[in-house]
Amino acid sequence: MNRDRFAALSFFLSPMIVMVVLFYLVPLVLTVYISLTSMRNWNVEKYLTDFVGFYNYHRLFYMFQHDPTFKAVILTTVVFVGITLIINVFGGLALALATFFIDERPASLFRLLWLLPRMSPIAVYSLVWYYFFHGSEIGTLNSILMKLGIVSHPIPWGQIVPWGAWSIIIFVNGLVGVSFGMIVFTSALNQIPRELIIAARVDGASSWQISRKILIPMIRWHFLYVLTWQFLSLLTTYPHLFLLVQWDLVNSDYGTTLALYVFNTAFGMGEQDQGLAAAAAVILSIIGIIGGFVTLKVLQFERMMKRPRGDF
Amino acid sequence: MKARVIWLVALVLLGVVASGCIGGGTTQTTSAKVQLTGDFTKDAVAVGKVLEKNGINEVKFSAWGSGDPNSVMRVYGIVEAARRINRIWEQNGIKVKIVITDTHYVASFQDAYKEYLSKQQLGQAGDFFVNSYAFLPTLADEGYILDITDYAKAYKKVIDDFYPSLIEASKFKGRLYGLPQDTEARPLYIRKDVAAKIGFNLNGLDEKVKKGEFTWSDVYYWAKKAKENGVEWGLIHRKGSAHPDLIQFIFAFGGKLYDEKTGKLVVDVPAVYKWLYVEWKFARDGLLPKDIMSWDWAKQIHPTIVEGKTLFDIGGTWYWTEWQTKQYYHGRGLKPEEVRDWFYYTLFPAGEKGDKPVTLSQPFVWMINSRAGEQNPKYDELKDIYHELAFLMLIKASDPDINAIHSVISAHLPVRKAAAELIKDEKWLNNLKNLNLDLSPEVKDNIRDIVKATVNPINAQFLANVSYMLEYTHLAPAHPKYPALADIFKEAVDKVLRGEMTPEQAVDYIIQKVKSDPELAKNVEISGEIPKGWKFPQG
Repeated sequence: MNRDRFAALSFFLSPMIVMVVLFYLVPLVLTVYISLTSMRNWNVEKYLTDFVGFYNYHRLFYMFQHDPTFKAVILTTVVFVGITLIINVFGGLALALATFFIDERPASLFRLLWLLPRMSPIAVYSLVWYYFFHGSEIGTLNSILMKLGIVSHPIPWGQIVPWGAWSIIIFVNGLVGVSFGMIVFTSALNQIPRELIIAARVDGASSWQISRKILIPMIRWHFLYVLTWQFLSLLTTYPHLFLLVQWDLVNSDYGTTLALYVFNTAFGMGEQDQGLAAAAAVILSIIGIIGGFVTLKVLQFERMMKRPRGDF
Repeated sequence: MKARVIWLVALVLLGVVASGCIGGGTTQTTSAKVQLTGDFTKDAVAVGKVLEKNGINEVKFSAWGSGDPNSVMRVYGIVEAARRINRIWEQNGIKVKIVITDTHYVASFQDAYKEYLSKQQLGQAGDFFVNSYAFLPTLADEGYILDITDYAKAYKKVIDDFYPSLIEASKFKGRLYGLPQDTEARPLYIRKDVAAKIGFNLNGLDEKVKKGEFTWSDVYYWAKKAKENGVEWGLIHRKGSAHPDLIQFIFAFGGKLYDEKTGKLVVDVPAVYKWLYVEWKFARDGLLPKDIMSWDWAKQIHPTIVEGKTLFDIGGTWYWTEWQTKQYYHGRGLKPEEVRDWFYYTLFPAGEKGDKPVTLSQPFVWMINSRAGEQNPKYDELKDIYHELAFLMLIKASDPDINAIHSVISAHLPVRKAAAELIKDEKWLNNLKNLNLDLSPEVKDNIRDIVKATVNPINAQFLANVSYMLEYTHLAPAHPKYPALADIFKEAVDKVLRGEMTPEQAVDYIIQKVKSDPELAKNVEISGEIPKGWKFPQG
């Protein structure tokens, strides 16, 4: 590379490089560094140089092996991430397609309604579902079912393990996440040239055929993006779960995912163990990287990145 | 190119690390100091004069507190202490003034603790911090709060007026790190109307409980009788692990939670097994809701108690006024007369014959930030003076009348004997009711509505009546790992109540959970075995 080209590249890229280094690389390095110390209670002065090697990792793996509830946590993570991901991605796609074929005004209103869970403060939104699914007669669902004579006693929904607890956490998070896919897919669908759809209509294609043969193949990129993004975000999300478990709405073993387990282990038990939390965060990051990589491979990201043939 | 990129990254990293380190060091300077004598006025004047001599005319402090809305004296006590010291200075011609710049008061004491923890090193935490004694060891160990042992030597007379167990709770490794601010007891409440309906004679019951003659087997007997007579529940208790009520069972069965010799937490297997067995038995026989750990406080737990749907309730002394101020009874609060007429209260009974009754306290402690006064001029030179002044403010904030006001309006127990005497004084109570006391207008304005709603001879009498419980009190261990153990206990109780585990399985579960974390395992001893052939109820 010649000197001029390097200077030009440095000029244009340096703001981004500095940003990436400051906000991505440095925190990552610091997280790995802290995970090798006994840092706790935010006491930087005292513990910053107190190296413990891989003790925090050893501690985590030991807990994973011996904690009697840990199997439930792993199983919950797999089920929660798997099912919620399907709901978020395909739910978002279904909503985007459904609103694509109707008038813009009602479509916007409809989409706005689906954004409400995302717009509501987490505590308020969780509280709504807390009272809806509450396992006694004060719960809205139980109250309705009892008034209709369908059940005679209240059902402790969140305490029916595993599927009662799983259904609630999947339902609550699914509703929050579905709007993200909906927005991305709607925007992608609106970029597709209208002529293609009109031409298909002229040829007598139904909405389903248009969706299957034209729209979905043309938003594969966005599909991949939403899938990967939602996977990573579900793997690390915990605020709604934290509240639902904290308020004893759902069984703590089958309402806790790995991310929440890490949070509770590091911050939820009185002593604030940042060293342990950092180790757990590193492991979660590794799982996320592997998961993201697998998703890209399975969906043949490389093929999409290839330069189109014949254009150059 | 590669080398340049590496250099660039290294430079940025160095910059970030350096920016974290710069300013971390402290300058060593000789700080002025006053020898405290124990004569408050003399000491306050001496401190004031040093400040004045150094050109300081205003000292800024902030007070951080937490709790229910009725407990605001946790911060206004500091405001009042500042006013009283200002008055002493004014009377002695000292032109210095203490200004409380911030009274930060939040509902959750755990949140307040987390906030303090994260901001102390940044110099943004309050100068005065009142919180549960349970957090004191961690704060002291990290050097976040001031060791006041040497200052307190001069004020032995004041210190001796506090209940000794509460002063012990304010210590860490033998050193004093704060002064008790309030405490509470956790009585067993009994509905008088339900008791009358089933022929349960409450006359002299508290004495029988004190002597250990009325045990948990008797509680079971009467709870069952109540259920058989159509009462919905025999017993209701609290939930969650932040409220350590249920560990009273461990103490009531003669067990312990902490080994003084080793400094470790203890899972006392026989006592824990008996506790879990009692819970399991009550739930299996339908006397205690098996899903109580997920009941709603405001919609289920309290209404069930105040509407008379249970015979027994393991509660707290603060329930007494909470039932009056919150709308738990068919959409309204109870009148003081109703609370008095409907509820009998006694100690938490002994587990079985030969054991002792207990109660449990979780005192709040006033602590001083180890960086107190940092925002004031000449901090390095006058650091000790600022700290001495902060200590004098704690002494003043512990004045019997300030402590008694807090006790009466928040239904907590007084921490000083002099305050306990004061709340029995009808004339003083009348003055409090009319706010005819020597208090700053700011404090009066902030407690006026609370005083109106809570100051009542019936409530004051209740506090005086339950004060004896402090002689039977136990404290949850002030150990940094205790909250983790409490969480495990809570999970085990929930599983036993729901019938997911037998008491034996639950004990194994607790042991396995403790052993699964090497750090917890290092700090917890497992002692004893599940007693063979033990039966409940007995006799």
